[in-house]
Amino acid sequence: MVTADELRNKTQLYYDDVQVGQEMPPLVIGPMTPTHLFRWSAAIENWHRIHYDQSFAIYHDGLPNILGQGSWKQSILPRYLKDICLPDGWPWKVQFQHRAMIVPGDTITVWAKVTGKREADGLGLIDMDVGMRLQYDAESCPGTATIVLPIRGGRAIPYPFVAPKGA
Amino acid sequence: MSETKNPLTPEVKAIIGLAAEKVEASPPWGIEREGLRIFTNAIMDPDPRYWDDEFAKTTKFGGIVTPPIYCSYIGRKTLAGVEDPITRAFRENPNSDGIGGVREGGPDSKGTLPPIPTPLKRILNAGNEIEVYKYPALGDHIYSQASYHDVKGRVTKDGTAMLVVTIQTTYTNQNDDVLCILRQSTIRR
Repeated sequence: MVTADELRNKTQLYYDDVQVGQEMPPLVIGPMTPTHLFRWSAAIENWHRIHYDQSFAIYHDGLPNILGQGSWKQSILPRYLKDICLPDGWPWKVQFQHRAMIVPGDTITVWAKVTGKREADGLGLIDMDVGMRLQYDAESCPGTATIVLPIRGGRAIPYPFVAPKGA
Repeated sequence: MSETKNPLTPEVKAIIGLAAEKVEASPPWGIEREGLRIFTNAIMDPDPRYWDDEFAKTTKFGGIVTPPIYCSYIGRKTLAGVEDPITRAFRENPNSDGIGGVREGGPDSKGTLPPIPTPLKRILNAGNEIEVYKYPALGDHIYSQASYHDVKGRVTKDGTAMLVVTIQTTYTNQNDDVLCILRQSTIRR
Protein backbone atom coordinates (compact mmCIF):
# COMPACT_ATOMS: atom_id res chain seq x y z
CA MET A 1 0.00 0.00 0.00
CA VAL A 2 1.12 3.53 -0.75
CA THR A 3 1.84 5.81 2.23
CA ALA A 4 0.79 9.38 2.92
CA ASP A 5 4.38 10.59 2.55
CA GLU A 6 4.77 8.86 -0.80
CA LEU A 7 1.67 10.68 -2.06
CA ARG A 8 2.81 13.97 -0.51
CA ASN A 9 6.20 13.77 -2.20
CA LYS A 10 5.27 12.02 -5.42
CA THR A 11 7.32 12.97 -8.44
CA GLN A 12 5.39 13.94 -11.55
CA LEU A 13 5.15 11.42 -14.35
CA TYR A 14 5.38 13.26 -17.69
CA TYR A 15 3.67 12.40 -20.95
CA ASP A 16 7.06 12.48 -22.66
CA ASP A 17 8.36 9.63 -20.49
CA VAL A 18 5.49 7.20 -21.02
CA GLN A 19 5.79 4.46 -23.64
CA VAL A 20 3.08 2.37 -25.25
CA GLY A 21 3.14 -1.06 -23.58
CA GLN A 22 4.43 0.38 -20.31
CA GLU A 23 2.93 -1.02 -17.13
CA MET A 24 2.18 1.47 -14.39
CA PRO A 25 3.20 0.65 -10.80
CA PRO A 26 0.44 -1.56 -9.37
CA LEU A 27 -1.51 -0.93 -6.18
CA VAL A 28 -1.85 -4.08 -4.08
CA ILE A 29 -4.75 -4.22 -1.63
CA GLY A 30 -5.48 -7.02 0.81
CA PRO A 31 -5.92 -9.74 1.72
CA MET A 32 -9.46 -8.47 2.10
CA THR A 33 -11.31 -9.43 5.27
CA PRO A 34 -14.97 -9.29 6.35
CA THR A 35 -13.96 -6.23 8.38
CA HIS A 36 -12.81 -4.35 5.28
CA LEU A 37 -16.13 -5.12 3.60
CA PHE A 38 -18.15 -4.12 6.62
CA ARG A 39 -16.22 -0.85 6.95
CA TRP A 40 -17.19 0.06 3.38
CA SER A 41 -20.86 -0.84 3.93
CA ALA A 42 -20.92 1.34 7.04
CA ALA A 43 -19.04 4.20 5.37
CA ILE A 44 -21.56 4.59 2.59
CA GLU A 45 -24.56 3.14 4.47
CA ASN A 46 -25.09 0.29 2.03
CA TRP A 47 -26.94 -2.25 4.18
CA HIS A 48 -27.24 -5.03 1.61
CA ARG A 49 -26.68 -8.13 3.74
CA ILE A 50 -24.71 -10.03 1.08
CA HIS A 51 -21.74 -7.81 2.00
CA TYR A 52 -21.54 -8.54 5.75
CA ASP A 53 -24.01 -11.28 6.77
CA GLN A 54 -22.34 -14.55 5.83
CA SER A 55 -25.33 -16.78 6.61
CA PHE A 56 -27.57 -14.60 4.46
CA ALA A 57 -25.06 -14.50 1.60
CA ILE A 58 -24.56 -18.27 1.53
CA TYR A 59 -27.90 -19.75 2.57
CA HIS A 60 -30.29 -17.14 1.20
CA ASP A 61 -28.53 -15.88 -1.92
CA GLY A 62 -26.47 -19.01 -2.69
CA LEU A 63 -23.21 -17.07 -2.85
CA PRO A 64 -19.81 -18.56 -1.99
CA ASN A 65 -19.25 -16.00 0.79
CA ILE A 66 -19.98 -12.36 1.55
CA LEU A 67 -19.06 -10.26 -1.49
CA GLY A 68 -16.89 -7.22 -2.00
CA GLN A 69 -19.02 -4.28 -3.09
CA GLY A 70 -19.16 -3.10 -6.68
CA SER A 71 -19.39 0.43 -5.33
CA TRP A 72 -16.05 -0.05 -3.56
CA LYS A 73 -14.40 -1.26 -6.76
CA GLN A 74 -15.91 1.72 -8.54
CA SER A 75 -14.05 4.04 -6.18
CA ILE A 76 -10.74 2.16 -6.17
CA LEU A 77 -9.99 2.53 -9.89
CA PRO A 78 -10.33 6.36 -9.92
CA ARG A 79 -8.28 6.49 -6.72
CA TYR A 80 -5.50 4.46 -8.39
CA LEU A 81 -5.55 6.65 -11.50
CA LYS A 82 -5.42 9.74 -9.27
CA ASP A 83 -2.27 8.40 -7.62
CA ILE A 84 -0.60 7.85 -11.01
CA CYS A 85 -1.40 11.41 -12.07
CA LEU A 86 -0.29 13.25 -8.93
CA PRO A 87 0.62 15.99 -8.44
CA ASP A 88 -0.43 17.83 -11.61
CA GLY A 89 -1.95 15.28 -14.00
CA TRP A 90 -5.64 14.45 -14.20
CA PRO A 91 -7.52 11.09 -13.99
CA TRP A 92 -10.06 12.02 -16.64
CA LYS A 93 -12.00 8.93 -17.69
CA VAL A 94 -12.40 5.30 -16.78
CA GLN A 95 -14.88 2.63 -17.81
CA PHE A 96 -15.04 -0.93 -16.58
CA GLN A 97 -17.18 -4.00 -16.09
CA HIS A 98 -17.78 -6.10 -13.00
CA ARG A 99 -16.49 -9.65 -13.50
CA ALA A 100 -14.91 -11.95 -10.88
CA MET A 101 -16.40 -11.57 -7.40
CA ILE A 102 -14.19 -10.35 -4.57
CA VAL A 103 -14.52 -12.36 -1.35
CA PRO A 104 -12.64 -12.34 1.98
CA GLY A 105 -9.14 -13.71 1.54
CA ASP A 106 -8.66 -12.14 -1.89
CA THR A 107 -5.68 -9.94 -2.61
CA ILE A 108 -6.31 -7.38 -5.33
CA THR A 109 -3.72 -5.97 -7.69
CA VAL A 110 -4.93 -2.78 -9.34
CA TRP A 111 -3.07 -2.35 -12.61
CA ALA A 112 -2.81 -0.25 -15.76
CA LYS A 113 -0.99 -0.80 -19.05
CA VAL A 114 -0.50 1.92 -21.65
CA THR A 115 -2.19 1.18 -24.98
CA GLY A 116 -1.75 4.55 -26.67
CA LYS A 117 -0.66 8.16 -26.29
CA ARG A 118 -1.78 11.25 -28.14
CA GLU A 119 -1.68 15.00 -27.88
CA ALA A 120 -4.88 17.02 -27.98
CA ASP A 121 -5.21 20.77 -27.50
CA GLY A 122 -1.72 20.88 -26.00
CA LEU A 123 -2.42 18.17 -23.44
CA GLY A 124 -0.86 14.71 -23.20
CA LEU A 125 -3.46 11.94 -23.18
CA ILE A 126 -2.53 8.42 -22.13
CA ASP A 127 -4.91 5.57 -22.98
CA MET A 128 -4.65 2.46 -20.83
CA ASP A 129 -6.16 -0.91 -20.16
CA VAL A 130 -6.93 -1.17 -16.46
CA GLY A 131 -8.23 -3.73 -14.05
CA MET A 132 -8.27 -5.33 -10.63
CA ARG A 133 -6.63 -8.73 -10.78
CA LEU A 134 -7.15 -11.31 -8.05
CA GLN A 135 -4.43 -13.57 -6.65
CA TYR A 136 -5.52 -16.48 -8.87
CA ASP A 137 -5.26 -14.30 -12.01
CA ALA A 138 -9.01 -13.75 -12.43
CA GLU A 139 -9.92 -10.24 -13.54
CA SER A 140 -12.50 -8.54 -11.35
CA CYS A 141 -12.82 -5.20 -13.10
CA PRO A 142 -11.52 -5.05 -16.70
CA GLY A 143 -11.74 -1.69 -18.39
CA THR A 144 -10.04 1.21 -20.09
CA ALA A 145 -8.98 4.64 -18.91
CA THR A 146 -7.64 7.93 -20.22
CA ILE A 147 -5.43 10.05 -18.00
CA VAL A 148 -3.86 13.40 -18.78
CA LEU A 149 -0.20 14.03 -17.99
CA PRO A 150 1.81 17.23 -18.34
CA ILE A 151 4.02 17.61 -21.39
CA ARG A 152 7.48 18.98 -20.59
CA GLY A 153 7.45 22.65 -21.57
CA GLY A 154 3.75 22.39 -22.40
CA ARG A 155 0.75 24.15 -20.92
CA ALA A 156 -0.52 23.38 -17.46
CA ILE A 157 -3.42 20.97 -17.21
CA PRO A 158 -6.43 23.15 -16.35
CA TYR A 159 -8.18 22.79 -13.02
CA PRO A 160 -11.13 22.35 -13.06
CA PHE A 161 -10.33 20.01 -15.91
CA VAL A 162 -11.59 20.99 -19.33
CA ALA A 163 -11.83 18.20 -21.89
CA PRO A 164 -9.45 18.97 -24.76
CA LYS A 165 -10.95 19.70 -28.13
CA GLY A 166 -10.82 16.75 -30.46
CA ALA A 167 -10.15 14.17 -27.75
CA MET B 1 -43.85 -21.10 -31.20
CA SER B 2 -44.14 -17.34 -31.03
CA GLU B 3 -41.08 -15.24 -31.79
CA THR B 4 -39.71 -13.12 -28.92
CA LYS B 5 -40.24 -9.45 -29.60
CA ASN B 6 -37.56 -6.84 -29.12
CA PRO B 7 -38.38 -5.28 -25.73
CA LEU B 8 -37.45 -1.81 -26.96
CA THR B 9 -41.04 -0.71 -27.36
CA PRO B 10 -42.06 2.86 -28.24
CA GLU B 11 -42.94 3.36 -24.56
CA VAL B 12 -39.44 2.32 -23.50
CA LYS B 13 -37.81 4.43 -26.23
CA ALA B 14 -39.75 7.43 -24.98
CA ILE B 15 -37.82 7.48 -21.68
CA ILE B 16 -34.45 8.09 -23.37
CA GLY B 17 -33.36 11.57 -22.37
CA LEU B 18 -35.85 11.76 -19.51
CA ALA B 19 -34.24 13.51 -16.52
CA ALA B 20 -35.12 13.33 -12.85
CA GLU B 21 -35.32 16.32 -10.59
CA LYS B 22 -31.97 17.86 -9.67
CA VAL B 23 -31.51 17.38 -5.94
CA GLU B 24 -28.97 18.17 -3.27
CA ALA B 25 -26.89 15.06 -2.63
CA SER B 26 -24.81 16.45 0.22
CA PRO B 27 -26.11 16.85 3.76
CA PRO B 28 -27.40 20.33 4.70
CA TRP B 29 -23.94 21.26 6.05
CA GLY B 30 -22.14 20.27 2.83
CA ILE B 31 -18.89 18.36 2.49
CA GLU B 32 -17.30 17.88 5.91
CA ARG B 33 -14.15 16.36 7.35
CA GLU B 34 -15.56 13.46 9.36
CA GLY B 35 -17.45 11.96 6.44
CA LEU B 36 -14.35 12.40 4.32
CA ARG B 37 -12.17 10.67 6.94
CA ILE B 38 -14.50 7.68 7.16
CA PHE B 39 -14.66 7.36 3.38
CA THR B 40 -10.94 7.69 2.67
CA ASN B 41 -10.18 5.09 5.34
CA ALA B 42 -12.63 2.73 3.67
CA ILE B 43 -10.84 3.06 0.32
CA MET B 44 -7.50 2.88 2.15
CA ASP B 45 -6.27 6.13 0.61
CA PRO B 46 -3.95 8.04 2.97
CA ASP B 47 -3.52 10.99 0.59
CA PRO B 48 -2.75 14.14 2.66
CA ARG B 49 -4.80 16.19 0.19
CA TYR B 50 -7.82 14.86 2.12
CA TRP B 51 -6.76 15.80 5.66
CA ASP B 52 -3.61 17.96 5.88
CA ASP B 53 -4.68 21.61 5.58
CA GLU B 54 -1.20 23.06 5.37
CA PHE B 55 -0.10 20.66 2.65
CA ALA B 56 -3.38 20.90 0.76
CA LYS B 57 -2.99 24.69 0.53
CA THR B 58 0.22 24.18 -1.43
CA THR B 59 -1.39 21.94 -4.05
CA LYS B 60 -3.11 23.03 -7.26
CA PHE B 61 -6.42 22.56 -5.46
CA GLY B 62 -5.64 25.22 -2.85
CA GLY B 63 -7.15 23.28 0.05
CA ILE B 64 -8.64 20.01 1.21
CA VAL B 65 -10.47 18.09 -1.52
CA THR B 66 -12.25 14.75 -1.72
CA PRO B 67 -11.50 11.58 -3.71
CA PRO B 68 -12.57 11.69 -7.38
CA ILE B 69 -16.12 10.33 -7.07
CA TYR B 70 -16.75 10.84 -3.35
CA CYS B 71 -19.74 13.00 -4.17
CA SER B 72 -21.55 10.03 -5.72
CA TYR B 73 -21.80 8.28 -2.34
CA ILE B 74 -22.98 11.00 0.00
CA GLY B 75 -26.59 11.06 -1.13
CA ARG B 76 -27.23 7.55 0.17
CA LYS B 77 -27.04 8.44 3.83
CA THR B 78 -29.89 8.65 6.29
CA LEU B 79 -30.40 12.14 7.62
CA ALA B 80 -30.87 12.77 11.34
CA GLY B 81 -34.39 12.92 12.68
CA VAL B 82 -36.10 10.62 10.19
CA GLU B 83 -37.68 7.28 11.02
CA ASP B 84 -34.95 4.64 11.22
CA PRO B 85 -35.14 2.97 7.78
CA ILE B 86 -33.52 -0.28 8.94
CA THR B 87 -36.02 -0.82 11.75
CA ARG B 88 -38.86 0.01 9.36
CA ALA B 89 -37.60 -2.35 6.66
CA PHE B 90 -37.24 -5.32 9.02
CA ARG B 91 -40.56 -4.61 10.71
CA GLU B 92 -42.23 -4.81 7.31
CA ASN B 93 -40.16 -7.81 6.17
CA PRO B 94 -38.15 -9.78 8.75
CA ASN B 95 -36.23 -11.36 5.86
CA SER B 96 -35.28 -8.04 4.25
CA ASP B 97 -32.08 -8.23 2.24
CA GLY B 98 -31.06 -4.87 3.69
CA ILE B 99 -31.84 -3.03 0.46
CA GLY B 100 -35.53 -3.62 -0.18
CA GLY B 101 -37.59 -1.45 2.08
CA VAL B 102 -34.58 0.37 3.49
CA ARG B 103 -34.16 2.92 0.77
CA GLU B 104 -37.78 3.46 -0.17
CA GLY B 105 -38.97 6.65 1.42
CA GLY B 106 -35.44 7.49 2.47
CA PRO B 107 -32.97 9.94 1.01
CA ASP B 108 -32.47 7.76 -2.07
CA SER B 109 -36.04 8.41 -3.17
CA LYS B 110 -35.13 12.02 -3.91
CA GLY B 111 -34.37 12.69 -7.53
CA THR B 112 -35.09 9.15 -8.69
CA LEU B 113 -36.13 8.33 -12.22
CA PRO B 114 -39.54 6.87 -13.01
CA PRO B 115 -39.58 3.09 -13.54
CA ILE B 116 -39.02 1.70 -17.02
CA PRO B 117 -42.27 0.42 -18.55
CA THR B 118 -41.09 -3.14 -19.12
CA PRO B 119 -41.96 -6.55 -17.68
CA LEU B 120 -38.21 -7.37 -17.56
CA LYS B 121 -37.37 -7.22 -13.87
CA ARG B 122 -34.07 -9.06 -13.31
CA ILE B 123 -31.24 -6.53 -13.16
CA LEU B 124 -27.54 -7.22 -13.75
CA ASN B 125 -24.74 -4.68 -13.61
CA ALA B 126 -23.22 -4.31 -17.07
CA GLY B 127 -20.57 -1.69 -16.39
CA ASN B 128 -19.66 1.81 -15.34
CA GLU B 129 -18.20 4.88 -17.01
CA ILE B 130 -16.77 7.77 -15.02
CA GLU B 131 -15.60 11.21 -16.11
CA VAL B 132 -13.96 13.47 -13.54
CA TYR B 133 -13.65 17.26 -13.85
CA LYS B 134 -13.26 18.74 -10.38
CA TYR B 135 -12.93 17.56 -6.80
CA PRO B 136 -15.38 18.85 -4.20
CA ALA B 137 -13.88 20.98 -1.44
CA LEU B 138 -14.84 21.25 2.23
CA GLY B 139 -18.13 23.09 2.64
CA ASP B 140 -19.23 22.51 -0.94
CA HIS B 141 -22.85 21.61 -1.55
CA ILE B 142 -23.29 18.84 -4.08
CA TYR B 143 -26.22 18.36 -6.43
CA SER B 144 -27.05 15.37 -8.58
CA GLN B 145 -29.30 14.84 -11.56
CA ALA B 146 -30.01 11.46 -13.13
CA SER B 147 -31.28 10.82 -16.63
CA TYR B 148 -31.94 7.89 -18.93
CA HIS B 149 -28.92 8.28 -21.21
CA ASP B 150 -29.62 5.34 -23.51
CA VAL B 151 -31.67 2.17 -23.78
CA LYS B 152 -30.96 -0.62 -26.23
CA GLY B 153 -33.12 -3.67 -26.86
CA ARG B 154 -31.92 -7.11 -27.89
CA VAL B 155 -33.15 -10.64 -28.38
CA THR B 156 -30.40 -13.21 -27.89
CA LYS B 157 -29.99 -16.30 -30.10
CA ASP B 158 -31.79 -18.39 -27.48
CA GLY B 159 -34.74 -16.01 -27.62
CA THR B 160 -34.11 -14.10 -24.38
CA ALA B 161 -35.30 -10.51 -24.48
CA MET B 162 -33.15 -7.94 -22.77
CA LEU B 163 -32.73 -4.24 -22.35
CA VAL B 164 -29.42 -2.50 -21.74
CA VAL B 165 -30.24 0.63 -19.77
CA THR B 166 -27.68 3.38 -19.20
CA ILE B 167 -28.40 5.94 -16.51
CA GLN B 168 -26.25 9.04 -16.41
CA THR B 169 -25.85 11.00 -13.19
CA THR B 170 -24.20 14.40 -13.27
CA TYR B 171 -22.81 15.87 -10.05
CA THR B 172 -22.39 19.62 -9.71
CA ASN B 173 -21.50 22.01 -6.91
CA GLN B 174 -23.19 25.16 -5.63
CA ASN B 175 -21.61 27.14 -8.51
CA ASP B 176 -22.96 24.67 -11.07
CA ASP B 177 -19.43 23.43 -11.84
CA VAL B 178 -19.56 19.87 -13.15
CA LEU B 179 -17.63 17.64 -10.73
CA CYS B 180 -18.07 14.24 -12.31
CA ILE B 181 -20.38 12.29 -14.58
CA LEU B 182 -21.21 8.66 -13.89
CA ARG B 183 -22.94 6.31 -16.32
CA GLN B 184 -24.11 2.96 -15.08
CA SER B 185 -25.37 0.35 -17.49
CA THR B 186 -27.60 -2.48 -16.37
CA ILE B 187 -29.05 -5.43 -18.22
CA ARG B 188 -32.76 -6.12 -17.65
CA ARG B 189 -34.00 -9.56 -18.62
